[in-house]
Amino acid sequence: MRVLSALHPHLALVAALRRHPGLRGEAVIVGGAPELRLPVIAASPAARAAGVLPGQPLRQAQQLCPVAAFVAHDPTAVTGLRAALATALQQVCPAAEVGDEETLCDLTGRHAAHAGEMAWAAAVARTLSAALDTDPPQVGIAGSRFVARMAARTAQPGRIHRVRAGDEAGFVAPLPLGVLPIPAAMAARLAGFGLDCLGAVAALSPADLQRQFGLEGIELHRLAAGQDSDGVHSDAAVQVWRERLVLDGATGDLETLLRAARRCTEVIGARLVERGLVATEVRVAYEMEESLPLRAAVTPPQPVGNLAEAWAAVLGLLGQLQPPAPVSGLVVEVRGLSAAGGRQTDMWRAGDATREAVRLAARRLQLRFGEQAVRRPRLALDPGDLPERRFAWR
Amino acid sequence: MPEPLSAALATLRARYGPQALRRGHQQPVAETWPTGTPVLDTVLLPGGLPCGRITALAAASVRGPSGRLTLLQSLVATASRHGETGYVDLTASLDPGFLADLGADLDACLVVAPEAGRWGQGFAMARTLTRAGLPWLGIALGAGRAPPSTWEHALAALAEAVAKQGAICVVAAPAPLAAALAHAASLTLTCAAAGWQRAHGDVLGLRVRATVTKSKLGAAGAAATLLLRYPRPYAEAEIVGLPSVVTPAALQAELAPAAAASG
Repeated sequence: MRVLSALHPHLALVAALRRHPGLRGEAVIVGGAPELRLPVIAASPAARAAGVLPGQPLRQAQQLCPVAAFVAHDPTAVTGLRAALATALQQVCPAAEVGDEETLCDLTGRHAAHAGEMAWAAAVARTLSAALDTDPPQVGIAGSRFVARMAARTAQPGRIHRVRAGDEAGFVAPLPLGVLPIPAAMAARLAGFGLDCLGAVAALSPADLQRQFGLEGIELHRLAAGQDSDGVHSDAAVQVWRERLVLDGATGDLETLLRAARRCTEVIGARLVERGLVATEVRVAYEMEESLPLRAAVTPPQPVGNLAEAWAAVLGLLGQLQPPAPVSGLVVEVRGLSAAGGRQTDMWRAGDATREAVRLAARRLQLRFGEQAVRRPRLALDPGDLPERRFAWR
Repeated sequence: MPEPLSAALATLRARYGPQALRRGHQQPVAETWPTGTPVLDTVLLPGGLPCGRITALAAASVRGPSGRLTLLQSLVATASRHGETGYVDLTASLDPGFLADLGADLDACLVVAPEAGRWGQGFAMARTLTRAGLPWLGIALGAGRAPPSTWEHALAALAEAVAKQGAICVVAAPAPLAAALAHAASLTLTCAAAGWQRAHGDVLGLRVRATVTKSKLGAAGAAATLLLRYPRPYAEAEIVGLPSVVTPAALQAELAPAAAASG
């Protein structure tokens, strides 16, 4: 396995700077007004230089950096940014995990469009930089998640630090114990034993570490030897197909709007049939000249896979929307695209398609009625005496 | 048969298919799913539960236990060992641990939990899963009954989906059986508690008198006494048919008409 780790500015900070472009290069602290009893979510390099750190109380951050601009945290914008980043990265690598300040990508194997690993990593870094509209990130490549992160930390901004396969143990050996993601008490005990670097920990027997720390001792030894087996936990990229129609002039005529919606839906329906896909969510938006767009969304009981199904959903949404002003444009979009169940899998084993279709149907019910609406039980490993502990939901 | 009538019948068969018209004595043949319990498969439901139909397990009386939910869960447990199974819990009383004690494969059990008392939502969710291809579905209805107008359409849609997919759908309903459900069910099995089965002062199970009160697939009226034996640490849960006890008085009453006829 080859993992790429890219360190970039906190997504909350990126979202805040997009909202307030005039603050670029200034000391910015994201979290809210300083009089609120809230922690700092993210801080710009200028604010960090003044000693501001994430997690500090905002009041303390104000004392450290009185000239900083305080911006409210916008979780919705951050979620949108994360989804956009995952979608962009999906174009260049098969799996990407987007965190607040770090993005991990799976670079295992080869990419047809890039000659080698470094070229591939450079393409990922360019994509990341373009999607976030920031300077190129620090990038590290290694055989595991932890080592790739360490490599990224030691890389220069805009540079790629590559740890060759098999060199992981040697690379992490001189690093101090403070870089290990372990509880402080465990780090203190290791220091008490006279261990000062990861190489010293890796030199110990795993059995000795297990005797001291239990199962965590085994994991500690793997980390210190650069052998952690944790890979990339990819986020499903939000796939959206959007069809927009700008009207010749703003109008409130329902017949015109109906015809425009029908034309957008026809295009989407034809694409769904052509690609053999279904969508689990349908959205419609009316764009108006002097007000915010009017939107409505629905998760149909059955996923839409053709014009007739999509049109039924769109018609229902049009009935909900009452535009307060003449409409200048109309958008129809479908989300949650996946392969239409029951079209291919039956070729391999009878019943596979049914199970897959039932799983998809259960997922749609969860989206409509909540996660607890449809679940599968499993017996608990340690049931105890109480009946309600005998099983767990998954 | 007059020639115009024959021609009309031929036209109807050609237009709507051979199943559109049939003689009164010709019962529709439904595919069945054997439950694996002899008393059910032979006495009460010849061949097993009908596919593509709704089967109702109705309580006989409003008060006291009837055993319908245990019977339903036992059937769900059996079905889960053969494939994907759904259980719509409108009673909010399902204990998956008990389902496991009944021998269920929990990996194959999908538990659907609509809002309590919202029968319409439960039927709609059941329909979605049935249309997706779920072959076996159990629905447990609670005592808090919603107005029929809120769920009748959903039940009709579910019946249509079940028929289209050839699925098995068993609904356990409280007494009195709602008219819409009684109409939608092709088979109604009415359950009445006949007492606890005890041994050494301990309750081993529930005796249930089950009667086929409606059947579109055969003759109604078959009855049997079942013992729903609860799971024990040393014994599995099971459904057992109990022998009918013939008392001398009942025997004389049965034999009297025959004796009079021969004499």
